[in-house]
Amino acid sequence: MGILRLSHVDITVTDLDLACAYYTKVIGMTEVRRTTDSAYLKCWDEADHHSLRLTYAPRVGFDLMSFKVEHPDDLAEFETAVTRYGFPVQRVSRGTSVGQGESIRFETPSGHVMELVHDVEKVGGALPKLNPRPFVVNRGGADGIAPPRMDHVLVTAEEVGDATRFYAGVLGFRLTEQLLDGNGHQIGAWMERSHTPHDLAVVAGPNGGLHHFAFWLDDWDHVRTAADILAYNGISVDVGPTRHGITRGSTIYFFDPLGTRNEVFTGGYRPDPDFPTITWTEDNAGRAIFYYEGALNDRFMKVHT
Amino acid sequence: MSILRLSHVEIRVPDLELATAYYSEVVGLIETAREPERVFLKCWDEHQHHSVVLSYAPTHGLRHFGFKVTDASDLDLYQGRLEAAGLAVRRFDKGECGPGHGQAIRFALPSGHEMELVHGMEQVGNMLPRTNPPPRPMGLTGMAPPRIDHIFLTAEEVDTVTAFLVGTLGFRLTEQVVGDDGFQIATWLEVSHTSHDIALITGPNAGLHHFAFWVDDWNEIRAAADTCAYHGVHIETNPTRHGATRGQCLYFFDPCGNRNEVFTGGYWADPDAEPTTWTEAEMGRALFYYDGVVNQRFLTVHT
Repeated sequence: MGILRLSHVDITVTDLDLACAYYTKVIGMTEVRRTTDSAYLKCWDEADHHSLRLTYAPRVGFDLMSFKVEHPDDLAEFETAVTRYGFPVQRVSRGTSVGQGESIRFETPSGHVMELVHDVEKVGGALPKLNPRPFVVNRGGADGIAPPRMDHVLVTAEEVGDATRFYAGVLGFRLTEQLLDGNGHQIGAWMERSHTPHDLAVVAGPNGGLHHFAFWLDDWDHVRTAADILAYNGISVDVGPTRHGITRGSTIYFFDPLGTRNEVFTGGYRPDPDFPTITWTEDNAGRAIFYYEGALNDRFMKVHT
Repeated sequence: MSILRLSHVEIRVPDLELATAYYSEVVGLIETAREPERVFLKCWDEHQHHSVVLSYAPTHGLRHFGFKVTDASDLDLYQGRLEAAGLAVRRFDKGECGPGHGQAIRFALPSGHEMELVHGMEQVGNMLPRTNPPPRPMGLTGMAPPRIDHIFLTAEEVDTVTAFLVGTLGFRLTEQVVGDDGFQIATWLEVSHTSHDIALITGPNAGLHHFAFWVDDWNEIRAAADTCAYHGVHIETNPTRHGATRGQCLYFFDPCGNRNEVFTGGYWADPDAEPTTWTEAEMGRALFYYDGVVNQRFLTVHT
């Protein structure tokens, strides 16, 4: 019952062919479907139709974040809850979106379009369901970084506290970690549904902004291999490889060729629903975000899409 | 709302001091309470009071294992379901089963294993502060796994127990080895969206094949092997890879003969994910992918 995990991220790109080349050759995603103005991609271990949609537009941007719900009835429950909170909910009927059935969409207090979906077309992972080998070949080789799956999304909001109250109170996200300023106001919030450190995080910034979305990698060795592949392909690395204080994850931040920030992420912990929230104070913000550096860089704070 | 994850195992040990020394100094668990005949331990990153209970007995093996439920009302829900299925369910108040323990119900699986569902175990905190914590504590001892991961049981009729776990308790099948006669030889099931929280393999009823601790990556599996070798702990299988679950693992025995595992890897499992099937001919690879042959000791030794 409720939200299960991140389903897909929909972004706009100014050059669809270039973006597809990057996400397939460097990241190592699979292009599942291409329409006139959009491409639908998935990671190798994902069975669902897509986890990333790229759409051509004159500017780089963030269309929506889509989360998968566990039960079909959840859509009606969330429709009621979000409507009662005062945000109009749009039903998107079956056949409207590529690769999925009915969904609901609404704008959140942080100015993001959020989608909830249950019925997603299954295209299957890269491994068979009968006597599969436990790995894909060419991982980190010719096929790029090859993350097994999408992991989380981090968005920006003017009022992090208001956004968090909505995501937690109306949608049932659980707060694992928070960053507080000197006045006790939230300037960052990390929330989960999947018993991981975060599925959705919000940091202070303009409403509607995308800070990054992240791919899961299995371990720190794979993070190093990812750094090798990024360097080989001349990709602009923002920060890393390094370690987060918040989430304890190991990470690299980098930019796709059109300017959207990507992350590869591993590690963390398994919070139970009764997990006591971890608090970071603003004077420790550097270590909270980048534990080894102990300081934030301006680009990390200011660049988003 | 539901069953969340493996909470704890209570195992029999004929030498409580020796077992306590092993689990605290070699595995690296933290002792949280002690009774004359029982010792309670937890992994460093666990918040709840205990995940391993050592219980003095003339032999080794499993006393019971417990799964954590998300809400107290789940105990009523599952008690109703279990009683409707004809099982005898015993109920225990908070603390009645031991120090720090929560409210619980206990019942016997069709395979004779004593299973518990528990809610509200005392939260004692992990070893890190809740404000500006470092990513891990320093000065940990032994393998220092962050948490318990799964339990693997033996049963005469794997099909029957699997059907019970799925039908009555809501576990989801992720993988199975199906014999040439069509019966399940082994099954892996989850409630926590991981590759498995519990698994079953054909063997005597009420048997414990092993229980496993999570470690973060393959390097930690190697470090655990180093720790075993240093302390003279009997390693059963070197660091290797499972076909089923895709996990990486090391098997070894505690000094009383209970099998332990350190495990990492696997995958995220959606509730509607299609299970993976292994044929009997490929059972060797399902268990140990690199070796590819069925290891008889692995199949025949249990407690």
